[in-house]
Amino acid sequence: MGRALRALVWSVLALAFGLPLALGLVGTGIAAAGAFPGSPMPGWSQALSDPRLLAAVVATLWTGLGATALALALALAALVLGWGRGWFRAVAGWLPPMLAVPHAALAVGLVFVLAPSGWLMRMVLEGPRPPSGWTVPDAYGLSLLVGLALKEFPFLLFTAMALCPRLNPDHWIKQGRVLGYSASRCWTRLVLPRLLSQLRLPIAVVLAYNLSVVDMALLLGPGQPPTLAALVLEWFNQAGGRAKAGAGAWLLLVVMALGFAAFAIAGLGLGALARGRRVSGIRRGWHLWHWPARVALAGALGLTALALISLPIWSLAQRWRFPDAWPSAWTLRFWVNRWDQLGELLSHTLILGVASTALAVLAAVVWLELERLRRVPRIDGLWYVPLLLPQVCVLLGWQSASLWVGWDGRAATVIWGHWVYSLPYVILMLAGAWRALDPSYDQQARVLGHGYAARLLRVRVPLMARPLLSAAAVAMAVSVAQYLPTLLLSGGRIPTLTTELVTSFGGVDRRMIGALASLQLMLPLVCFAAALVLPRIWFRNRQHA
Amino acid sequence: MLEVNNLSIGFASGECLVEGLSFQVEAGGVLALLGPSGSGKSTVLDWITGTLAPGIQSSGSLHLYGRDLTDVPTERRGLGLVLQDGSLFPHMSIAENLAFGARQRLSAAAVDELLERADLGGMADRDPATISGGQRARVSLLRTLVSEPAAVLLDEPFSKLDAELRDQIRAFTWTETEAVPRVLVTHDAQDIPAHAQRIQLGDSAC
Repeated sequence: MGRALRALVWSVLALAFGLPLALGLVGTGIAAAGAFPGSPMPGWSQALSDPRLLAAVVATLWTGLGATALALALALAALVLGWGRGWFRAVAGWLPPMLAVPHAALAVGLVFVLAPSGWLMRMVLEGPRPPSGWTVPDAYGLSLLVGLALKEFPFLLFTAMALCPRLNPDHWIKQGRVLGYSASRCWTRLVLPRLLSQLRLPIAVVLAYNLSVVDMALLLGPGQPPTLAALVLEWFNQAGGRAKAGAGAWLLLVVMALGFAAFAIAGLGLGALARGRRVSGIRRGWHLWHWPARVALAGALGLTALALISLPIWSLAQRWRFPDAWPSAWTLRFWVNRWDQLGELLSHTLILGVASTALAVLAAVVWLELERLRRVPRIDGLWYVPLLLPQVCVLLGWQSASLWVGWDGRAATVIWGHWVYSLPYVILMLAGAWRALDPSYDQQARVLGHGYAARLLRVRVPLMARPLLSAAAVAMAVSVAQYLPTLLLSGGRIPTLTTELVTSFGGVDRRMIGALASLQLMLPLVCFAAALVLPRIWFRNRQHA
Repeated sequence: MLEVNNLSIGFASGECLVEGLSFQVEAGGVLALLGPSGSGKSTVLDWITGTLAPGIQSSGSLHLYGRDLTDVPTERRGLGLVLQDGSLFPHMSIAENLAFGARQRLSAAAVDELLERADLGGMADRDPATISGGQRARVSLLRTLVSEPAAVLLDEPFSKLDAELRDQIRAFTWTETEAVPRVLVTHDAQDIPAHAQRIQLGDSAC
């Protein structure tokens, strides 16, 4: 049974998970070479001769590298300044819901807050007209950089905190302090070097995302030219632009490689500098960065909160003239009048989310069980592949392949796309708890005469209820936030809250945008709340789960 | 002289761990804190270093050569602490571990000289994970010594060593630290030098 099962599992994994990624990359390459109909000349020369290419590359590198560096700096500053303090525990408690916030909803909220006529200016200004001098989005990519950093810093902080118990910072800080170093220096010289070496993969995921993001770039990024990923989508949407887009997508891979190299070189340089300082014997000195870091952290958290709160407020505002800090009249009109449209978008989003989440959780449980039974090896690095490859690079080819076999525009294809992007998160989230589960429970059940299915369904799955539900909530959040897979694999025929929000942003009333973004935000938050509450209800009289 | 007066330690729940503990240790002297697991021996060292875990309450005073250290931050107390596993920083080489402890930049020659003194010649660039328990214990003690501590606290520093090595490391430890007051936490009476004062914890009225 062992060999056949192993062959079956590897085949399913290769076909369902590996094939679309490989096919996507190859398909995009074929398109770039001009092999698809409607391509008058190879895409490479078209893409390379586009006058906007260089500026798009610069914008991509500037926003991607800048946002990653800022997100990392915020996460590490929070850890160093807050570890063991009450405010940090409160922030840490809010991290899981912050992770669930869809990128598009945060981007829209930031525009609502930071624009010259936004909430922030309404709170501090009294003049009759919004100030001039800046716009959100802006031509320099600053809005995108800040938006990406705000979205990704909770993820890096969450991942870093998950690594901390293994690194035991308190023990090393105690050692360093007894040797005469301040707690902050102990962090930077003793804990962070080790933490950062273990954070490399999550940082790479964030960097890859920031360099290749499309939905946030469309909402917050510079317009003329946009970032390279957004420019590729623009080329793709032009008549006969498939080859140019394919070449652009491969160029994005090159730009990402450049970005990774630049980030790695900067990291090595900083590491060498830090190594020199930690053997200098110097204890005293000013912690000049503490106050700016505290202000930046408070600003980041405050801005995120304001951005998210602004969404339902705009959706309920009947009249909100500048410079009023609050709407002068409230209404449910936009929800009621547009409920048919909102309901349809909501149902599409829910169907795709529930189906892809159920499949991802099922696949993750099967994989982790096989791993536990030593039928398959541990391949944690493999799950990061879809997170490291730019979506636009994979999906252009995937869409072409779907078109070729006649699977485009089907719900099943879109669910497959969502599944490929949510499965890695589910496995990576679930793996720790699944592997750490005490094997004696299973042993006891076995001795008591229960078969494999009974042990799985009546012992292991209930014991894993909390991590399973958390992983499901994450998968749902990932699915809800998917823009490019939904848009390209459905051929625009299955609109969701996210695709509609990005498509209609700028051209539709702020109240409608507020309603769409509020719904998009609410879905994953409800799932996280359910993941938190349900186990408490189900297992209210029990210690575990 | 290290002086602890009327030290009481307890949990926020009201449970008492140590009550009314007082002692003095002269330079060159050794005080041994004995007692079963959970009797508060290591917690007393945590209090002396100022690293008590949150939620543990304490009262009492600490003086080192007449200077009141009770409310002084850990990093300014000028103490040395040696733990049972050596706690060498795993991302630093042996030389970097020593340099981290030093008060000023250590030259390569100074590092070599220190290592030779402890019979560890040629190990400057070694990874701490690749050396033996006895070697780790000596490096840990050297790292503490180069920080020029005014007193040394030893938390079961010999407990993970085999019997033969223990005698060597004990002798090395007592010789190298003889200029300062020393407080030793142990559950093994053989670790304690003959001239040491002894305090048994865990059987007080607390």
